[in-house]
Amino acid sequence: MAIEIQPLEQFKIHPIIPIHIGGLDVSYTNSALLMTIAVVMITALMVLGTRKRALVPGRWQSVAEMSYEFVADMIETNAGHGGQEFFPFVFTLFMFILFANFLALVPYSYAVTSQIIVTFALAIVVFVGVTIIGIIKHGFGFLRLFVPQGVPPVLLLLLVPIELLSYCIRPFTLSIRLFANMLAGHTMLAILGGFAASIGLFGILPMGIDILIVALEVLVAALQAYVFAILTCLYLSDALHLH
Amino acid sequence: MSESTPPDPLSRLGQEIDKARAGRVRRQPPVADRSTLQRGLSLGFRIGIELVVAVVVATGIGWAIDRWLGTRPWGMIVLFFMGVAAGMLNVYRAVTGVSGPVGFRPPAESSTGAKGWDDEDC
Repeated sequence: MAIEIQPLEQFKIHPIIPIHIGGLDVSYTNSALLMTIAVVMITALMVLGTRKRALVPGRWQSVAEMSYEFVADMIETNAGHGGQEFFPFVFTLFMFILFANFLALVPYSYAVTSQIIVTFALAIVVFVGVTIIGIIKHGFGFLRLFVPQGVPPVLLLLLVPIELLSYCIRPFTLSIRLFANMLAGHTMLAILGGFAASIGLFGILPMGIDILIVALEVLVAALQAYVFAILTCLYLSDALHLH
Repeated sequence: MSESTPPDPLSRLGQEIDKARAGRVRRQPPVADRSTLQRGLSLGFRIGIELVVAVVVATGIGWAIDRWLGTRPWGMIVLFFMGVAAGMLNVYRAVTGVSGPVGFRPPAESSTGAKGWDDEDC
């Protein structure tokens, strides 16, 4: 019996509820479904977890408080003074990516963050938002961000474009990092799973590796959410303080 | 009710928390170790992709400029090297803790603590 291994099959988006508005395909897809589940779960965790407001937190309240304190602490150390204003945004971002990444590890679910358009949308929101915040806080002084201090004027001709370029690259690195990690991880899982299914008894070997990779993927899922959030904090810090 | 418990359960809890906190001070080093590991891992994931993306994106922009202005191949060549420079700059700054494309030297009284660039010669 030949088993066809299609490791990229899992990333296919297929509509669950087809909706077409004026030639525009806005169908409710499996990707949208997983996003909805992630949002509902986060909301449930935060709302139900903190409902009792016990002085001695129960299990769920502990989880809610821990995630709150984790992000608050991250903003405090990385975005510095004035960063706490943006706590709701960073917290939402972190929790959404974290839950999307973790939910992707559930068998037969869908890896939302393995779609570049999803991660890029998140990253471009961060990028545009941070730029606007910087311009609001500093006006044209924000452009000082691109002018290194203590450099001969002649070199500025070369350095300012480089600074500008390295600033504009941010949304790309931010989105590609998350997307590539998720895509690679899930593809690898599927390939090894396919091996295990197709070589019979010896499949126990790739199966074992697969299990280890699942553990690695759990780490990557948490770490990528952390990296995304921490970079958002650092970018915010740039916009707020201009260093 | 044989032992002499404080009448207020809250103050008893407070005492217990204090005792637990006192016990936690001794466990401080492992906690710090874990955060170093976490920081190292996140840094590794960060810079791994920084250089590649910078070069690819910059070359792509150069290609687009060439198509638009018909200056093939100069835009692509120039932007390629600028991409390399920008990518290296980003990696360098990520590693030295001077994050983001800003002036080379942050002011000493910068409020962003815990980054350790005091002894950094950047």
